[in-house]
Amino acid sequence: MRKVGIVGAGITECRGRWIEATYWELFQQATRRACEDAKVTVDELDSVVYGIYNDIFEHQAIPESSLTGLIGMANKPGTRVTSGGATGFYAMRTAVMEVASGVSDCVLCVGGEKATDCFDPRSKSATPMVIDTIAKSWDPFYEYPLGATASDSYMQMCMGYDDTYPGDISDSDVRARMIEILCHSGNRNPYAQRREESVTVDQVKASRWIIAPFLRLLEACMYTEGAGAIVFASEDKAREIAERTGQPPVWIRGIGAANESYSPGRGGNYKPLNRIASDRIAAERAYQAAGVKPSDIKIIEAHDAFVAQLMITMGELGFVPIGKTRRLIDEGIMLDPKDLADDEAPGDGQLLINPSGGLIFGGHFVGGSNMFSTWSCRREMINRQIPLGLVHGTGAINACFGGAMVLELDEGGAR
Amino acid sequence: MTIPKGQPALPVDFNLESEVSEIEGRDGETYLQFTTHMVTFYKQTYGEHSRFFMALRDGRLIGAHCSQCKQVMVPAATWHCPNCNFAEMTEIDLPHRGVLAYTAPITIFPSASFLGDAPFARGYVDVATEAPIASFLPSRLRTTTGLERPGIFVKGTEVPQGLRDKKPLLASELDFTTPEPPAVHKDAVKAAALKEAIAAMRKLAGDVGKSRRAQADLAGHEHLVGVNTGGGDFSISVADSRFSIVEGLSAGAEHTLVADDPEIFTRWVHDGSLTDAAVEGTLWLPHKEAFQLLPILDRLPRSTRRDLRDEKK
Repeated sequence: MRKVGIVGAGITECRGRWIEATYWELFQQATRRACEDAKVTVDELDSVVYGIYNDIFEHQAIPESSLTGLIGMANKPGTRVTSGGATGFYAMRTAVMEVASGVSDCVLCVGGEKATDCFDPRSKSATPMVIDTIAKSWDPFYEYPLGATASDSYMQMCMGYDDTYPGDISDSDVRARMIEILCHSGNRNPYAQRREESVTVDQVKASRWIIAPFLRLLEACMYTEGAGAIVFASEDKAREIAERTGQPPVWIRGIGAANESYSPGRGGNYKPLNRIASDRIAAERAYQAAGVKPSDIKIIEAHDAFVAQLMITMGELGFVPIGKTRRLIDEGIMLDPKDLADDEAPGDGQLLINPSGGLIFGGHFVGGSNMFSTWSCRREMINRQIPLGLVHGTGAINACFGGAMVLELDEGGAR
Repeated sequence: MTIPKGQPALPVDFNLESEVSEIEGRDGETYLQFTTHMVTFYKQTYGEHSRFFMALRDGRLIGAHCSQCKQVMVPAATWHCPNCNFAEMTEIDLPHRGVLAYTAPITIFPSASFLGDAPFARGYVDVATEAPIASFLPSRLRTTTGLERPGIFVKGTEVPQGLRDKKPLLASELDFTTPEPPAVHKDAVKAAALKEAIAAMRKLAGDVGKSRRAQADLAGHEHLVGVNTGGGDFSISVADSRFSIVEGLSAGAEHTLVADDPEIFTRWVHDGSLTDAAVEGTLWLPHKEAFQLLPILDRLPRSTRRDLRDEKK
């Protein structure tokens, strides 16, 4: 397989709702910015991979068809990927494989979502219909008719974890402190949806229940409208582009993915409800492929759908022991970006987790959220000269889809 | 579900007027938005799942059993074992009870299709407990003690499976409709707290009279609800986009809520939450219908504050 690098990235501003733009414009904006960043024209891009999660959000069953010409990809191969919350990750995996295989030298991977045009006429607000649109990802025979939603199914997994490892994610002070840190990160991201917000531990604990007793309003990710694009290139092409841009390539050193069974249960291949096995297996595969250990990695952009899930994910990814993920806060492992200069790398025993503000403060435009994470991870690795980074994605019922990607800053490392 | 003759297929409140309206962007420019929908009707086959649902109709809970790995899959989503090279699976009868596999989450804020259903608990029940490998049955969990709340559906709880009103099923044998209300303990401190709460609520009721947003929150709702507290009783009346507080339990109240500590109502006025009080158990509700008013009341302090703030500007 050929070596693959990231040579450009661009995202739109993350907004609760874009009145000024449809997803056509958002995808074009992200593409435009990624091309500007990589100093390439669309002529140099051999193909495109689209990450779009849910047709109902876009209100079109082949949403990528209307984008093709608008983003300069006319007459080129285009593949759309949709894999729930992990759509962005899987789209990038597809783009990486396309370059690694030698089929293409330079691939655009662009993902996004336009979620909040949905509207619930009874409550006269968007949110219940947005939740319902996501809930349509559950089967119509057993789960959806019971009222399953993304929040309740992620919380079911969190509660299973809490039953098995009590006293870890159940401390609302620990979770609220993580939210506070993510808020400080979001404040530093000029594209973050909640960059102006200031959320304190007390506010988190006083916010309303969404799913009792583990999820309050301020512990959940947002619904975002936006798009993100990454340009992947082969080694030769990446080095050539790096000459032009003066930015070092960020290599995909290892990538791993795993999807668990839809049905939870005991033993066999059933999904264990007290763990995120998909995260663990995906991470192990990525580390294997990269030949690195979690302790080699100082920056993580993880898919934080919910803060309790982020804690478990950090355990499954191998950064803290399962059952003792609260050490992230108790032992000061999770850095507050306020305590670090913008060009400073984390020290020993410290981790920079979701410096973008994550999906909770940065943004969660489902089909492109993991591109958003990748955009941030690359940016921070270059600015802070951090040699290795990890990007993570999760999705689907009870967190059964998982992906992880180890990034490596080019040895030159020059800005 | 059959749609009665003469009724539209969608609930009337789904039938938004087809219109194009103007909306202001963040850039101050005017944009257009159109009202539309994306609805598909189905006559969806249960296909291979029919066998499971037909057994349910007959009052039987069945699973698919693999003689090679001994696993039991319930619901029987397939009859060919994915663990054993798709070996043929056989039907087995399962008991109408099981053990809650893990503590179940309680949904407070549901999706559009389940508005009015919250709070509810969805959990996974281990019914094939004898099998070395088994799936869990996704279930809606109900209680005979009033509202579904944390602490009721914890890991290991034995749950009878109520499979709707079919014998030998248990749902019809359980009384979900008349739970026993908790007793309140009256004392002078709570009486003083109630006095303070009523004053705060009346102040809020006055503010609602000046708040367009709060009146919109209440529009179309008509309720008379009694509240029994450790400091005495009162009633909340909602009508004509306003609410008012009446001392004592009004005759004709739809139902009576119970709160030993009346201070939760003072907290509500100061941006607290009656919804949270119900979930946490400091406010007892006899049934789900009683819950539906709470998120609406919860909006009032914020709505009035926003309108008053805008007015000051």
